[in-house]
Amino acid sequence: MKHKVLVVYAHKCTGCRICEQWCAQTHHGEMNPAKARLAVHRVHDRQINVPVTCSQCIKAPCIDVCPSQCISRNEDTFGLILDADECIACRMCVDSCVRGCIKMDADTEIPLLCDLCNGDPQCVKHCPEGALQYVPFDQVDRGFRQYHALRLAGEKGGAQ
Amino acid sequence: MSNTISGLTGSMLRVDLTGSRVERVETPRDLFERFIGARGVGAYMLFHELQRHTDPLGPAGKLIFLTSPLVGTMAPGANKITVSFRSPLSETYSFSLCGGHLAPELKFAGFDGIVVEGKSDRPVYLWVDNGTATLLDAGHLWGKQTHDTEDAIREELGDQEIRVASIGPAGEKLVRYACIQADYHREFGRGGGGAVMGSKNLKAVAVRGTGSVEVADSAALAEIAERVYADLAEHPKARLRRRFGTPEMVEGTNKFGFWATRNFTTGYFEKADRLTGPELKAKIFIGDNSCYSCPVACGKVSPVTRGQFAGKLIEGAEFETIGLLGPNCGVSDPEAVIAATAVCDAYGFDTMSAGAAISFAMEAYEQGVISREDTGGLDLRFGNGEALIAVAQKIADRDGLGDILAEGSRRAAGQFGVPHLAMQVKGQELATYEPRGVVGMGLSYAISPKGGHHMIAPTMGLEMAGDPANRLVGDGKARMVKDTQLIMTIVDSLAMCSSMRFVLGLEAILSLYRVVTGITLEQEEALLIAERIDNLERLFNVREGLTRKDDTLPRRFLKDAMPTGPSKGNTVPLDQMLDEYYELMGWDPEGVPRAERMRELGLQAEWEAAQGTPGR
Repeated sequence: MKHKVLVVYAHKCTGCRICEQWCAQTHHGEMNPAKARLAVHRVHDRQINVPVTCSQCIKAPCIDVCPSQCISRNEDTFGLILDADECIACRMCVDSCVRGCIKMDADTEIPLLCDLCNGDPQCVKHCPEGALQYVPFDQVDRGFRQYHALRLAGEKGGAQ
Repeated sequence: MSNTISGLTGSMLRVDLTGSRVERVETPRDLFERFIGARGVGAYMLFHELQRHTDPLGPAGKLIFLTSPLVGTMAPGANKITVSFRSPLSETYSFSLCGGHLAPELKFAGFDGIVVEGKSDRPVYLWVDNGTATLLDAGHLWGKQTHDTEDAIREELGDQEIRVASIGPAGEKLVRYACIQADYHREFGRGGGGAVMGSKNLKAVAVRGTGSVEVADSAALAEIAERVYADLAEHPKARLRRRFGTPEMVEGTNKFGFWATRNFTTGYFEKADRLTGPELKAKIFIGDNSCYSCPVACGKVSPVTRGQFAGKLIEGAEFETIGLLGPNCGVSDPEAVIAATAVCDAYGFDTMSAGAAISFAMEAYEQGVISREDTGGLDLRFGNGEALIAVAQKIADRDGLGDILAEGSRRAAGQFGVPHLAMQVKGQELATYEPRGVVGMGLSYAISPKGGHHMIAPTMGLEMAGDPANRLVGDGKARMVKDTQLIMTIVDSLAMCSSMRFVLGLEAILSLYRVVTGITLEQEEALLIAERIDNLERLFNVREGLTRKDDTLPRRFLKDAMPTGPSKGNTVPLDQMLDEYYELMGWDPEGVPRAERMRELGLQAEWEAAQGTPGR
């Protein structure tokens, strides 16, 4: 399993939402974070920003629950593909997503699914903090291990 | 959409609180052409919608919230919203800017701005939801602190992603420098907009938007944005700000002797070590926060360790806050500064004016003008961090001495018969730059249309460039102030963060404007617009009766030599700088814009309206 997936280091996110902007611009040519395939959720009282992205589940519930079987994935990148003509906008995929990352497009009335920008995810490319990474599946643990190891070592900072 | 400028939504809201009416109106395209946006358009609307001597806290007072074509787009740092109003603190023209995520949300909701007028007969809040707007009851929110208000509104509207701007108890109690708090820890900080909001019984504005902002050339905009990110990532000043936030300025400001200390009795704080950026980063800050579309993330998260907010978090403390609640009150303990900041944020009043009002009280206390009886038993000496926190709370509650300080330092000092101890211009408290140590900032404070303020023409960096000794002399400062002022007017009118100026020169700013609006604005033209805006702001104050005598500084900066520190011995040569500045602006020796230049700038009607005002 050598495909790459999105990895989120929430502790690095500052909440600038530049990722959302690039996603919406890349897919729609629009200035509208509501059309991004990811979102930064701010927990206000704790001053924490959590990027919510597609995690490219292997047994993806969004694919499995779709009653019209209109969600598939790109064999090379694992990015999601929607057959918009078949989509009935039932929102089962929205409900099923374990991360809560799927939105509905208000204009086209279809779900916004992460296609990984054909293997060059723009959110990752433009994150100024390195909070989003595009990592081979067999290495997703490493950044987190470093982060927690450093914390255990009583040091400040995180995954570099 | 055809009749608007790209980047704008084409719609605004007009909220009449007296009649409980909310109306959708067309965004005035011509005003955005003549005045760019935000600050500029606000200045025009305020001038024309208010009469001379309008009571800022009466029903005729207004709050005009405005964004710009750039807000909500990928333009880096274009995340501000302005509010324009006549200040209850300075009784001059005023505006205040707020970052965070409120401004883009309003654009996504389909509105370029909101004009609030009249007075509601009961507490209400405005709910702006994707092209609609309603006034909702806020009786149950009245009395709540700002963060609790935000939480309650998000809870009752059932959406944690709604953006909220609100006032706290200080705004309700008309503390004259009450702020409007948004996104928890971003503020329309200065001038008392929160008191204006409180006077109208408007508790909050909540916004949700999921629409698009249409721009002329989104691909070109993305390309410029990418370049700006790269430039910011490399720029030394931006890198400092990324790491340490605005407190990166502490060391330089103090080292060169212009950090206001103990109510501006000197410009050097001998115990600054605990308050530097690196020190705060190592011992206090636990996280970083960004405003929308900004890669600098200068917001620093700090835990509160004392007082009623112990265990909570604040964003900050910012450089100005640290300066005015810290050294200017003689306090070197960052945890005391943070605890006092938490009080200001939760109750909703300006940390800067609060710090300066408290430092005034401390000096008056040490001089025996304010007694221990007046303070309610507090030993209000410089350096007493616990007293600092306690007095901040008294201001929030308008309790005892706090009730007097809530009126601002000019009124408070007047009441105690020591007006010279109030460190203010036109009634608004000064920022943390001690003007004897950086004299261009003295001119900047004096000519600021909103009273003592540092961001009208922040020349401190320029005054240090080359030879730092240049900061102590008046030569060339009028030109420097004017040039800086014009650029800042453009930046504010585009609703961009001033931090962008480290890497974005005027040319780059105007290229952003071009790809968003499709309108090519040449540099000369943009500078002319800026001059138009600055003169319009000036005419507002002339109409109120302000002249040269009001463009002055507290006596000590003009008469008393700086007593200690690296700027020892210096005073501010204000008259010389003021003469030159008026000349450069085309104003007469009394500081009144001349008719001919006003005609050239297209401000003849406003000039005429400002004539014949009896001086104060």
